[in-house]
Amino acid sequence: MRRFPWWIPVTLLALLTGLGLGLVYSWVISPARATDTEPAILRADFKEQYRSAIAAAYAATGNLPRAQARLAYLGDVDPVPALNAQAQRMLASGESFQQAEQVAGLALALSNNGTPIPTETAAIGPVTEIASNETTTPTSTLPPPPPDVPIVLTGTAETVEPEPTQAVVIQVTPRPTRTPVPAFGAPFKSTGQDTVCDPNLPDGLLQIIVYNSRRKQMAGIEIVVTWDGGGERFFTGFKPEISDGYADFIMTPNIAYSVQLARGSDIVSGLTAPACQASNGESYFGGIKLTFQQP
Amino acid sequence: MKPIHWIFVFIALLIGIGAGLAYGWVIDPVDFFDLTPDTLRAEYKADYVLMTAEAYRLEQDPGLAARRLAIFGAHSPSSIAADGLAYARSNGFADSDIALIQELVTALQAWSGLP
Repeated sequence: MRRFPWWIPVTLLALLTGLGLGLVYSWVISPARATDTEPAILRADFKEQYRSAIAAAYAATGNLPRAQARLAYLGDVDPVPALNAQAQRMLASGESFQQAEQVAGLALALSNNGTPIPTETAAIGPVTEIASNETTTPTSTLPPPPPDVPIVLTGTAETVEPEPTQAVVIQVTPRPTRTPVPAFGAPFKSTGQDTVCDPNLPDGLLQIIVYNSRRKQMAGIEIVVTWDGGGERFFTGFKPEISDGYADFIMTPNIAYSVQLARGSDIVSGLTAPACQASNGESYFGGIKLTFQQP
Repeated sequence: MKPIHWIFVFIALLIGIGAGLAYGWVIDPVDFFDLTPDTLRAEYKADYVLMTAEAYRLEQDPGLAARRLAIFGAHSPSSIAADGLAYARSNGFADSDIALIQELVTALQAWSGLP
């Protein structure tokens, strides 16, 4: 009787053991070091820095296609909410207002149907200054046009005054004409102010909704609320579960507030939490709903 | 088992280890996430440097530019920008972009880091 060749199963067992050891080493003990990676798999805080850099570059160049391409690297399903949320976090954590504004400005440009609206990068002063700045043309304060914004070559033939006997036409070298950076647009108009008596809403809730000229809600619009001895700034779009152009603020009863949009708008003043009465006779403070629209 | 068979077993063990390492390191490496920017591919690093340079052109704040570049870790901001410039030059970036990065490199080389 022939003996069983034990060496064969032992060899197979050794092969499997070696395979297991190799996998344990390569997956657990010493996994391959990450190199040549993409921004999409960066840690969340580094992604935020990446977004900030994209927004800062956009604020400087106004080159929206380039900013969109860069944002695509980060793999966000929709970059607008990500940018808006980041701007809010930046403000909450006390980071530079200018950098938060750049991030919100990029979100606004993206949500504005791809129409680039450069972020104003000048230092933001008091509310009264904002109002006056917004009425000026942006040419003096906006950044220079981006070097790689699509340019239109307009090779216009320049006609020189004809000499007595011969007409001479000089073909000049075409000069690039930069695509003009769009202006901020007309100031927003206050189009609605309604008292809201709803006991299910927080007392003194000031709701603000901002529309563009096509009646589409606009995220990333900075709102300035001021009152005697104080003020606060915030942006639309941070509650997308309500709507993109929505923002809210809680008013303290018996204090008068003024509201305007930082980009320029009508100033709605004298806003106080209205007194409302519930169905059971109890009184409570209601809210106000304001709407702004670009003409 | 004969001695030759032990040699087969040993060779099988080595083959298994090699196959396991190749599978775990090359064919199906661990999935990476939450990485640091120093692992980014060179083109992304260079584009980040370009973003910083674009922003610097407007802001003229080398300290802020240096802080932006600091996400790449241990190297100095000027050397990070210089690496980006070298990549841009050798990979067909637009002249205007190269000029921007060059401007940033020059500014960071002159920047002392002191406020």
